Amino acid sequence: MGAVEESLLRQGLRYALGLRLIVVALSSTASLLLTEAPRQGVTVAVVAGLNGWNLWYARELLRGTRTAGWIVADIAVMCAVCLTQLWTVRSDPRGGGTWVLIAMVITVVTYAWQMPWPALAAGTSAIIAAHYAGAMIADPGGWLVSEAVVAWTAAEVALSWALYRFVRRSARTADRTIERGQEMRRTAAVATARRADEREYLAALHDTASVTLLMIGNGVLTEREAWLAEQARRDLREIGRSDAGHHGELDLIGLLREVAAQTPLRVSWRTPESLALPAVDAVSLSRGVREALTNVVRHAGVDHAEISVRRDAAGVTVDIADEGAGFDPGLVAPDRHGVTRSLRERMARRGGEARIVSSPGGGTTVTLRCPLSEPEVPGDEGLIAAGFQRGLRWAVVLVSLAILVLLDLPHLLTGREAYTQLGAQFAAWAGLLGTTLVAAVATWRDRPVKRWPLLAVVLVCSVVATATVRPEYRLGPAHWSEGDAGWQVVLILLDSRVAVLAAVLGAQYLLTFAQAAADGQAALSVAGVVNATWLVLAFQLAVGMIAAVLRGLAVSSAQVVRAAEQLRTSEEVARQLHRDRERRYADLATTAVPLLEGLADGKLDPAEQAVREECAAEAARMRRLLTEYSTVPDPLVSELRACIERAERRGTPVSFAEYGTRPELPPRALRRLTEPAVEALATARGKVRLTIAGTGDAVTVSVIARCAPPPEVPDGDGVRRSTVLDGDRWWIQSVWREAP
Amino acid sequence: MISVVVVDDHPVVHAGVRAWCALADPPIEVVAWGTDVSVAWLPPGAGADVVVLDLQLDVTGPAYGNLKRLVDAGRQVIVYSMRADRETVLTCLDIGAFTYLTKVEGEEHLVGAITAAVAAAPYTPPALSGAFGTDDRPHRPRLSPRETEVLLEWFHCESKEMVARRLHLTVHRVNSCLERVRVKYANVGREAPTKAALVARALQDGLITTDEL
Repeated sequence: MGAVEESLLRQGLRYALGLRLIVVALSSTASLLLTEAPRQGVTVAVVAGLNGWNLWYARELLRGTRTAGWIVADIAVMCAVCLTQLWTVRSDPRGGGTWVLIAMVITVVTYAWQMPWPALAAGTSAIIAAHYAGAMIADPGGWLVSEAVVAWTAAEVALSWALYRFVRRSARTADRTIERGQEMRRTAAVATARRADEREYLAALHDTASVTLLMIGNGVLTEREAWLAEQARRDLREIGRSDAGHHGELDLIGLLREVAAQTPLRVSWRTPESLALPAVDAVSLSRGVREALTNVVRHAGVDHAEISVRRDAAGVTVDIADEGAGFDPGLVAPDRHGVTRSLRERMARRGGEARIVSSPGGGTTVTLRCPLSEPEVPGDEGLIAAGFQRGLRWAVVLVSLAILVLLDLPHLLTGREAYTQLGAQFAAWAGLLGTTLVAAVATWRDRPVKRWPLLAVVLVCSVVATATVRPEYRLGPAHWSEGDAGWQVVLILLDSRVAVLAAVLGAQYLLTFAQAAADGQAALSVAGVVNATWLVLAFQLAVGMIAAVLRGLAVSSAQVVRAAEQLRTSEEVARQLHRDRERRYADLATTAVPLLEGLADGKLDPAEQAVREECAAEAARMRRLLTEYSTVPDPLVSELRACIERAERRGTPVSFAEYGTRPELPPRALRRLTEPAVEALATARGKVRLTIAGTGDAVTVSVIARCAPPPEVPDGDGVRRSTVLDGDRWWIQSVWREAP
Repeated sequence: MISVVVVDDHPVVHAGVRAWCALADPPIEVVAWGTDVSVAWLPPGAGADVVVLDLQLDVTGPAYGNLKRLVDAGRQVIVYSMRADRETVLTCLDIGAFTYLTKVEGEEHLVGAITAAVAAAPYTPPALSGAFGTDDRPHRPRLSPRETEVLLEWFHCESKEMVARRLHLTVHRVNSCLERVRVKYANVGREAPTKAALVARALQDGLITTDEL
């Protein structure tokens, strides 16, 4: 079950129980105060007992302990209340509904949120049967006994269950949509992190080991140098660092100490023991600090600096302070060079900032600040809320249509004598039906409803319908629009705040009551009106409140989902990065590392021919590894790589370069294209140049080597081969062209 | 004597550049060297004829800003980097770098590039040639098929004699082809004083006509 659905069920249960508690408490106490029961003492006891039970039951259910047992007990309690009607309610045709009926209805209507449907069906049947039986005992053959009540209660339970299913289904849809979105975001986040890590590593190697080996290979050094050994040690640290970082994080303090150790400064530290940061941030900060320290060495004229590191919720702050010469920042023209500008640019690229406070003679403090990258992902709230709103709206459309067609239409068709103008009644009915359909279409097309014009239509219909009911039938069953018109109000105002909905709904009821009161002679007593109104109004308000809850729920669900997602993402990132790093280190461990170690401890002489050749070969290899990592896997390159490596093992250095975009080649063309190069590499001696160029519709593989004469091969598969002999070197090119 | 300032944070690179420059004819003097770009702005680096600039790639990407400011100040900048990807190469040229040299090409081409930079004569090493020849960006200059051919062959073989033999041209024609392409690239994209000078000189020398641009 997804996070949205889960929190929906939790919130829904809470609301169902709360609603039932309030409705039962209000209607039972109102009934105690306004009417007289056959056995007042027993009634007081039953009312008190039932409300007490409701409280207890809600508490236990929300705790989630032995739920099934409490539900069975609850059904039993409700049955008992229904069966004791002979003591607790009086048969009064003008009484509307009894408080027991209201308690019974609200109980079964809210059951959908508490139990699975088989239990719901069984429990509802038992309670409705008990209510019918209780009515028979209390008022044999009288007004209390009504098959219509049985049917209507069953219908209401069905509607309530439908509402529950609709909302739950939309929660599921929201879950699925979010999950898909998140999968994409996760993939993107992992890819971004891998790229960043790759870039960091590339940058480090490019700037260090790779250059060292290349230049030694070029023969620029004629003897062992102390600084070369130092550089080789630094290069080894750069390579080795690749597997020191865990979970995509590096220890900032460790990095800063390394940086400081490379300067002649005495540094005093005010930092935590260690501070793990995302690798990108840590490296960014450490390079900024390196720049700032270099500046102290150059311009401050002191040999001491202080570095302090603070971390708060929003980010990390590093201060580099010296008590040296200082300068007047106002005198540094903004378009000029310098540390200020370069630091600012560096930090700005990571979303941070660099501040420099200095005055001539007053020392300099550089403050670098890096926000902790916590990508905020907005958007899910709206998505979930929209999903809920849609589900709930469909449910209310369904309820409204069911009431209009199944309940109100039969009243209209069978009770003609209750109305002064049947035509006006039908017109009002059609108006309400139309309103419902308009809202349904808006829901279907996912557009907002035009609420105020529609609301006006509903109110006019309600007034017309009430005006054309004969006074003596008003507020009775024949007066269908009283109460039922409220459903359209709910439907139209579902997006509005609860207060607005409640106010308009209340106004609509009061308008109807005022009309009825103006003409006197209503069909129901005051208590009857209160009871009957309560029953419908409570349900309608409940729907409005559910809508409001769902809106809030969407926000909290999105937060839950996001938190879980962030955890999953960072785990995934960590796993991938670790794997990448292990792979990279394994690639370098047997070749570059021993070479650099030899240079670091002076065992290898950079002037020696063999060492130079080895360095040149290793530099070429490393360069190729780095190119491969930074580009997408390519069958053409990987096909050639194996033979390049074989040639290099034989001591034939291969200078490899590639440019351009290439189309995907058919396998046969691929083989024909690479074959000449593969053959040349197999017999090559001395330096080899191997290049690939792609120009959109053509791909060229070119090799220049001292090798055996290329055998004659016919052209085919869109590939043409050409050869040129230059002294003892063969230049062999094969070109694939897309068939026109 | 030609003077050069080297911006590169690697001591071995410095040693290499100094060694090549000392052997050059006429000799070239490396007047200053430093790990960050300020060395090119402060004496004695500020007066150097040519800036050899490592892009100083870091986690946040290449430092194009440094290049831009040097170019805007009218300096001849040779970008000398480990990076060889097309996008970086072409971006540097667009900003107004005199030429782009990968570190691998340094031994062969750095001295030549420095000499050419002082003479403001176009210089296109093989990697740059490969990047030009495979450029598929929408705002690239229009090259003739022959020009593209020369660019790619020069990239493949690194020998102008071999390109000339293969395409049945003279080495002189190969060179002028490469120069014309370089001028066409100087004529597109961002404006920079060094680019304008290159174009103006090519027009003056009759290397290219305004119609071809």
